[in-house]
Amino acid sequence: MNGMTAVVEAEGLTKFYGRRRGLEDLDLTIQPGEVFGYLGPNGSGKTTTIRLLLDVIRPTRGRVTVLGSDPGDAAVRARVGYLPGELALAGRERAGQYLRFLGDARGGVAQARIDELAERLEADLSVPMGKLSKGNKQKVGLIQAFMHRPEFLILDEPTSGLDPLVQQEFLAMVREVRADGRTVLMSSHVLAEVEHVSDRVGIVRSGRLVAVEEVAALREKAVRRVELHFDAPVPAEAFEGLPGVRDLRVAGASVTCTIDGRPDALIKAAARFTVVHLVSAEPDLEEIFLTYYSGEEERHARADDAESA
Amino acid sequence: MPALMTQSLREYRRTLIGWTVGISAFLSLYMGIYGNIKKSPEVYGPAALAKFPGALRDLMGGLADITSGAGYLQSVVYQLFVPMLFIACAWGLGNRAIAQPEESGLLELTVTLPIDRVRVLLQRFTAAVIGLLAAAAATYGVALAIATSVGMGVSAARILAAHTGVFLLALFFGTLTLAIGAATGRRGLASAVTATWVVTGYAVVTVGQSVSAISWLKWVSPFYYYLDGKPIYQGVPVGDYLVLVGATAVLLLTAALAFDRRDVGV
Repeated sequence: MNGMTAVVEAEGLTKFYGRRRGLEDLDLTIQPGEVFGYLGPNGSGKTTTIRLLLDVIRPTRGRVTVLGSDPGDAAVRARVGYLPGELALAGRERAGQYLRFLGDARGGVAQARIDELAERLEADLSVPMGKLSKGNKQKVGLIQAFMHRPEFLILDEPTSGLDPLVQQEFLAMVREVRADGRTVLMSSHVLAEVEHVSDRVGIVRSGRLVAVEEVAALREKAVRRVELHFDAPVPAEAFEGLPGVRDLRVAGASVTCTIDGRPDALIKAAARFTVVHLVSAEPDLEEIFLTYYSGEEERHARADDAESA
Repeated sequence: MPALMTQSLREYRRTLIGWTVGISAFLSLYMGIYGNIKKSPEVYGPAALAKFPGALRDLMGGLADITSGAGYLQSVVYQLFVPMLFIACAWGLGNRAIAQPEESGLLELTVTLPIDRVRVLLQRFTAAVIGLLAAAAATYGVALAIATSVGMGVSAARILAAHTGVFLLALFFGTLTLAIGAATGRRGLASAVTATWVVTGYAVVTVGQSVSAISWLKWVSPFYYYLDGKPIYQGVPVGDYLVLVGATAVLLLTAALAFDRRDVGV
């Protein structure tokens, strides 16, 4: 595509652990410069996908390339940064020493770069790793993933254990990576954590990718809940049948409804009365997404039934 | 030295220092006692040893002639205790190389470094060998110093021959532990197989030698290739030691091939 090699290209990627399905028939392409949010509940196949991309585990069938190479090619892993979902750090070794080792093993990272990231995330690298709190372990994990400025960052549940301020700093780091034209795959079990930085999101459930959608498109589909309060009771007829307005409830001086897309018609109808208060809730993308993919699932279930029939 | 090898040595350092200190203390204590035996051989002579039950004497390699320096070294020091201590140390290193960090999740980042799987295993193994060799060299120094000071009358070359055998024997069992851990990722399994082979292997070359039905099992006991040549008396049994080296190489190759093919941490 435009002569650019896809960062991830998976075709029919499948992993079974014995008879248990980890991931089945994943077809996914991630383009350079993209931030891809990978969503799903625990045990749905997110970590399986990520570990396949890093050659920690091997596919049962199907194929995948990372930065144009087979994940088994060790050299390509120098261009990848990885934060494991369950990061284990232990022992008496200081975090700073361990980071220097990881940097050396990836071909060298300047100490100044490690210190800069530690300062941004407020991580204390002089603490023995076995004594790090959950949040501090996660910071050390983020530093090692970002420090060698990899072309492709794979982050499994990156925000877990981080306090809100550090989460903001982390999201800023992700935006910087994207601004550099580098690529990010980050998993989460909640959309809210990734929607503000992701270009696209994919949902995986029970080992299947059930939906991939651009976040901007999702926003357009967003259903918004609106509440209007007037200085006097309003007639219900004034709001009935407005385009895009649903779930209308008129009770005395207040009107509540949900709107699809533009709020224009509702605003114009309301303008005929005296508005004293207006509440418009941020659209819950997750809700839309969930409705969307539960529909997908039903279709899958029907297809499965048809197959077995 | 590759970064992973340096890092592995750092990880093994504490356990290696612990074992080196422990084995040195054991050597000082047991070899120090020889001073008393030398002074009053009648107390520890054949008449005294005859009081031990036969099976116990067999287990201790016969306990013949512990009043001579060579006999004492062979029976009390190099027969059972020093090999077992070194094997325990090597077994620990064998687990630390792959299975233990895999079970605790620490290996996850290591295998995602730009180092291919076979190299990961070889560098972890080489670091363990260097560590074990350092422990063997240090304890050889201790053994030699005490042997000289209490006047054991055994040459440095003979003590080196025995110490080399201990090192090779421990290396074999350490590599066995590593190989099972590398092939399965299970520390418990690796420990159980190694422990079983150590105990039965030692039993068949000692108490088992008088039971003709199982005496052929000595061929699969690594202890046979260490003890049979009597290195304290006869120097390095080259052929026997090469068998240990060869068997270790086969185990290492198996470990590398198995680890290269396998899913890690599942």
